Amino acid sequence: MTETSDPNLDVKASAEPLLRATGLTRHFNVGGLMSRQILHAVDDYSFTIGEGEIVAIVGESGSGKSTIARLLARVYPLTAGEIVYRGRRVDKLRSRRSLAWYRREVALVFQDPFSAFHPVHKISHGVMRNLKLHRPELNAAERRKEAERVFEAVGLAPRMLNRYSYEMSGGERQRVGFAQALAVRPKLILADEPVSMLDVSIRAGVLNMMAGLRDREGVSLLYITHDLASARYIADRIIVMYAGHQVEEGPAEVVLNDPKHPYTNLLLSAAADPLQTEGEAPADTGEPPRVINPTEGCRFRDRCPLAIDKCSQVTPRLQQLGEVKVACHVAVGEATAAASGAMQ
Amino acid sequence: MAIQSATTAPATGMPPEPTGGSRFRGMLRTLLGNRKAAAGIVILLIVAFVAIFPGLIAHDSPSESSYLPNLTPSGSHLLGTTNLGQDVFAQLIYGTRPTLVLTLVVSVIATFISTVVGITAAYLGGIADRVLTVITDVFLVLPVLPLLILMASFLAPGTTSLILVLTVTSWAFQARQLRSQGLSIRNRDFLVSARVRGESAVYIIFREIVPTMTSLLAASFLGLAVFVVGFAASLQFLGLGNSGQEMWGTILYNAQQSAALESGNAWWELAPGLAVAFLGTGFALVNFAFDEIGNPALKPMKRRKRRVRASA
Amino acid sequence: MSEPLLDVSGLCIDYLVDRGAVRAVDNVSFSLDRGEFLGVVGESGCGKSTMLFGVAQLLPDSAEIAGGSVKFNGQELVGLDEHALRALRWRDFAVVMQSAMNALNPVKTIGAQFRDAMHAHGQRSADAIRQRSVEVLGLVGIDAAHLRSYPHQLSGGMRQRAMIAMALLFNPSLILMDEPTSALDVVAQRSLMTRMKELQQELGFAVVFVTHDMSAVSRFSDRMLVMYAGQVAEVAPTRTLFTEPKHPYSGGLMEAFPSVRGPRKALVGIPGSPPNLAEPMSGCRFSPRCPDVMDRCLVKAPELIQIGDVLARCLKYDQTDETD
Repeated sequence: MTETSDPNLDVKASAEPLLRATGLTRHFNVGGLMSRQILHAVDDYSFTIGEGEIVAIVGESGSGKSTIARLLARVYPLTAGEIVYRGRRVDKLRSRRSLAWYRREVALVFQDPFSAFHPVHKISHGVMRNLKLHRPELNAAERRKEAERVFEAVGLAPRMLNRYSYEMSGGERQRVGFAQALAVRPKLILADEPVSMLDVSIRAGVLNMMAGLRDREGVSLLYITHDLASARYIADRIIVMYAGHQVEEGPAEVVLNDPKHPYTNLLLSAAADPLQTEGEAPADTGEPPRVINPTEGCRFRDRCPLAIDKCSQVTPRLQQLGEVKVACHVAVGEATAAASGAMQ
Repeated sequence: MAIQSATTAPATGMPPEPTGGSRFRGMLRTLLGNRKAAAGIVILLIVAFVAIFPGLIAHDSPSESSYLPNLTPSGSHLLGTTNLGQDVFAQLIYGTRPTLVLTLVVSVIATFISTVVGITAAYLGGIADRVLTVITDVFLVLPVLPLLILMASFLAPGTTSLILVLTVTSWAFQARQLRSQGLSIRNRDFLVSARVRGESAVYIIFREIVPTMTSLLAASFLGLAVFVVGFAASLQFLGLGNSGQEMWGTILYNAQQSAALESGNAWWELAPGLAVAFLGTGFALVNFAFDEIGNPALKPMKRRKRRVRASA
Repeated sequence: MSEPLLDVSGLCIDYLVDRGAVRAVDNVSFSLDRGEFLGVVGESGCGKSTMLFGVAQLLPDSAEIAGGSVKFNGQELVGLDEHALRALRWRDFAVVMQSAMNALNPVKTIGAQFRDAMHAHGQRSADAIRQRSVEVLGLVGIDAAHLRSYPHQLSGGMRQRAMIAMALLFNPSLILMDEPTSALDVVAQRSLMTRMKELQQELGFAVVFVTHDMSAVSRFSDRMLVMYAGQVAEVAPTRTLFTEPKHPYSGGLMEAFPSVRGPRKALVGIPGSPPNLAEPMSGCRFSPRCPDVMDRCLVKAPELIQIGDVLARCLKYDQTDETD
């Protein structure tokens, strides 16, 4: 069991989740000097991550999912909202000590194994630096042993510590990315599309390793991906994202077996079984919009086969429907109608 | 550029690059394999040798003024004598070391300043970037001649002033280049990774960014050296140097003052000029080679006959 | 049986590097009938894109065809001079690249680029050009107004469709496609592929579709060709490949896809990585990673063996006597 790195922190065991994000919002200024074009990458995003849990955020490119990872890793600041980690507000941390603390707790793994590593230094550079900066209690020999340990934890032989990044394959590099994260003994790893750039035959191994991290090391993961199938494979809960908004959230199996939001449905039908030659392809030819200066209303309405008037006027909010949460007027409307119908 | 090829080539079916230490050896091999580099290195080695062992080449002392003045080149005086009866050849040879040292010192300092300014501007961005860029631009557009005149009235002529003037007028150009390069890699994942790790800005600049730019820095340094060799000689020619100390430029100065071209030993004036050109060429050739190594697209295309085979 | 539209035989392609030549494509053979849809799949470094560009005679200067033949409509393409090739290109076979971003000229409108292509093949009549341009755009589901649009004004999916429209200008009998959907999102991918298949059935052209994503193409391909380390590992009708893969590599690939529906099963994948083609290899190239490896796999390099309507490069099906 990993000991808490800061004994002064009181973590109420099961009541409060590991991380609670509320109303996360991130806007970027795009366009020239004179224009007031604001890109809404993420709007009003709220979710929690528990201990020893893998939460997947699924969305297409442009949905803002990578932005979430970077916001949580504090790569850039929030436009609005708050992040509470183990009971502490972390989005506004300023002091060196607190920042260092947060960096020991939450680590980020990048998508592109070919640019995530320094081209000149050895592949173990990141691991060693992490150990040096965040595990000051270790001496040089202990650091070396720890580096070997994290390499083994991700399935790499310790002799690979001396390799250079260009000598290693994509899959191996990606494992090093996780080793780097593990070196600080985090409680949460933010994995931004970690297998998207890997060959299919290699993905399984890395995905299995990630599930193993949850099971054996007790680490929580936020798994960001565009691939529903791999999300289902390792995640406990799935959050579906569209154009910066959450549209559906719930336990993985429930969301996939009984999707409530039309977009989830669309994703499911597009990702179906390779051999199934029957079944209509969705008539949809649209793509997720770049959300610049958006208006009220559901952002999916232009592509939605079920859109009603209300969808253009009122932005739907996430509401609990049984085991899942959905942001869809139609889904919520049907459920309420069914409920009131049942009560008759 | 060198950085692009190192990070975008996945290590799958293609021959992998050699490991760590042998990478340096590999680079040396490539460098020597390139004709321009080989020629340039030969030139630089010759100059270095002359600088280190002047006594082996020239048997006269440069200040020995017991010879007949204004002699034209002959067997005993390869380049003739000055108007004071000194052996020009000896002066040239003994002048090599201070010239080379000056060139290297200025190039190192100026490259260092431009690295710090350029990369810091690129990395920090925002206001720091604007301030540093303005400073760079100011130094870039400083009119050199008026500056020289100003400095000449305040500074005593001598090597220190020379170093000062040369450094001040040459760092800015490279700073812009290095800033551009810094901007292009600033958002690369491995640098974001370093930021997320919590590394300090100084660490990132010197231990993460600079190591990716070694060939650019080397090329910068070499380009600067070419410039400095010529400019230093020009400044000395104009009298800013210490005419007592022999450097190629001061030899030129003295020769000019004594109107060597018109009435006397023309080689006294020509030789140092040629020497400057020689050294400059050496640096320039190695610089071209670095460009080609960094950007293989610049390599001269070997003409290859299109092999046409249609066998089954 | 009529002659195949495309007949590739023993194709070998070398990359020229400082130390010599690296054989990126080794002895690839396959044939394609009219109207057939062939999916070529494989992972990074297997040589599939190189093979496609070799077939199209579009190799960069650093690569060359070192042997073999490519017959299109009975005509040998390897060694054909540029003039003759140009006459064939686009009229008879077209190439759709991986990223339309790189293939479309950013400073010309779509209509202008169509016009350029038509001019290059002798079509000068402005009316005929316009009519055909509108027609092909309609085929891929793009509004005719977009003839006046620049590529950056279109979405990624639309750009890719515009590329396909351009490929259809002269009603070619063969379209070669190199990962045309990898830059697109899942939904856009599906709708593009569906449209491609419909067009193929309407217009009757054959397709060679190169991709790393088997599941993207399997719904639409008649046959699939799996490449590994520069060689053909298996060629089979799509359904057969999925239900009864013969080569252990194909088998491993099938097991590596997580599924959205159905029972959750453990994924295995194929640990290890493809061999370094620059180094000499003995025996079967897949042997270091093969779950069914036998002793002789390490010394004897298998040929492509026919098993029913499947070709597989695996010693499991090699009936010849083992001589030690």
